[in-house]
Amino acid sequence: MFAPHRDIRVAVVFGPGNRIKPVWFDMDRRQHTIRQITNSWKERRGETTLLHFHVTDDGALYELIYNMTDGSWKLEQIEAL
Amino acid sequence: MSNDQRVIMHIDMNAFFASVEQQSNPELRGKPIAVTGNGSRTVILTASYEARAFGVKTGSTVWEAKKLCPSLIIVPVSNRLYTHVSSQIITLLHDYTPLVEVFSIDEAFLDITASLSLFGGMERLCYLIKSRIKARFGLSCSIGIAPNKLLAKLASEMKKPDGLTIIAADRIAPTLETVPVGELCGIGRRLQRELLLMGIRTCGELGRFDETWLTRKFGIIGKQLKAMGQGIDDTPVIPQSEAEAVKSVGHSMTLTHDVEERSAILKHLLQLSEMVGRRARRYGVEGRIVHLTLRYADFTTFGKQQRQGEGINQSDRIYQAAVAILDTLELQQPLRLLGIRLTGLSQSGDQLALFPEARRKQQLTEAMDRVNNRHGDFTVMYASLLDQEEKGSHVISPAWRPEGIRNVTVG
Repeated sequence: MFAPHRDIRVAVVFGPGNRIKPVWFDMDRRQHTIRQITNSWKERRGETTLLHFHVTDDGALYELIYNMTDGSWKLEQIEAL
Repeated sequence: MSNDQRVIMHIDMNAFFASVEQQSNPELRGKPIAVTGNGSRTVILTASYEARAFGVKTGSTVWEAKKLCPSLIIVPVSNRLYTHVSSQIITLLHDYTPLVEVFSIDEAFLDITASLSLFGGMERLCYLIKSRIKARFGLSCSIGIAPNKLLAKLASEMKKPDGLTIIAADRIAPTLETVPVGELCGIGRRLQRELLLMGIRTCGELGRFDETWLTRKFGIIGKQLKAMGQGIDDTPVIPQSEAEAVKSVGHSMTLTHDVEERSAILKHLLQLSEMVGRRARRYGVEGRIVHLTLRYADFTTFGKQQRQGEGINQSDRIYQAAVAILDTLELQQPLRLLGIRLTGLSQSGDQLALFPEARRKQQLTEAMDRVNNRHGDFTVMYASLLDQEEKGSHVISPAWRPEGIRNVTVG
């Protein structure tokens, strides 16, 4: 497990019913296409709501966090499959 | 640390056999499928969620299931595939704690009390495990978290499929208040009926019931029942290395059709003797008592045992003992099940047999075991078993564990 806790750039599709679907993200100057969103869950932290996404590319599992208050994305964790 | 501060996780794989089949054959995905045994008289072992939507249930006959869901696809059980996937999942679970207790092929308990802080909290750890299992195996699981095993298992049953339920210590009483007693692991239908006769329907009612009355009715488990109603369970999560040792080695088989001819019964006994003997030899034990279990076509089950002059684990000796027991019985009906069990176990010595004939037999057995260990059961077998249609066990024993060999108690 590796926990970078860093801000990242994520391409997202905002769908009907406030649905948020991350499509790809940048890491180490490489674009990672998201193959599967394995889980997502909501966390309240004070006034802020955080949306956690577990996503996979071709090699690992990543936890991306979307901050609904400021619209930022963080790469929280990388885990081997 | 007090017991109510523990954090216990129960993982239950959803429709495990059916889901594994759907993952290994993409054509089955999204379709109603049911996994059945290999025998012609088999029942549904498990059904996919698509089939369950039609009312197909575990235990139904294929005919009943097809009536409910005409498009149902029947898939024969692949025990090797399921045990392989299960072993890999158990290995993955060990990434999060060494305290993993395999409860069955598709269920496990984890004590994550000490390791929880390493993974960022309960919810996050649960989703991490769920995600890794989903990404690697394409399978979903339901997870329950609670201060003990009883409640963790109850929690995992609450949301299926793909659920996550946490019962915090301060929510135990309100959660149990309305839960039917039959939902608790360990309270079967018969016990549930007896409790109902005493006016106990829910865990809340069980927890408040007078312990004296429960003890009078159920003996020593009365106290335990009251504790269960209150959500109290101090049993630890026991990893396999510390698991209680097995005290017997046995196998049974439901026959593909009822048999009454002696020659057919003897063939099955020889096959069972080989299975039991092989397992005993792998464990390095021998048994002084041979039990023979028989079940008639009407499900009447009985058994008889015979003490041997010395400990045995050679298949032919077990077979001779089983036949000797059979010869003392007068069968009233055709048989649908046969079983052989070795008890009174002791460590088998490695000493060479004294007489050349016995020594040759010992060496032959060892050679057969080596070949079968390497190439699979019944690769080399007794010639009289050659025309048996199916060999080996068709069910996964509840005692199955990923490492294969369990601790064995010797007397």
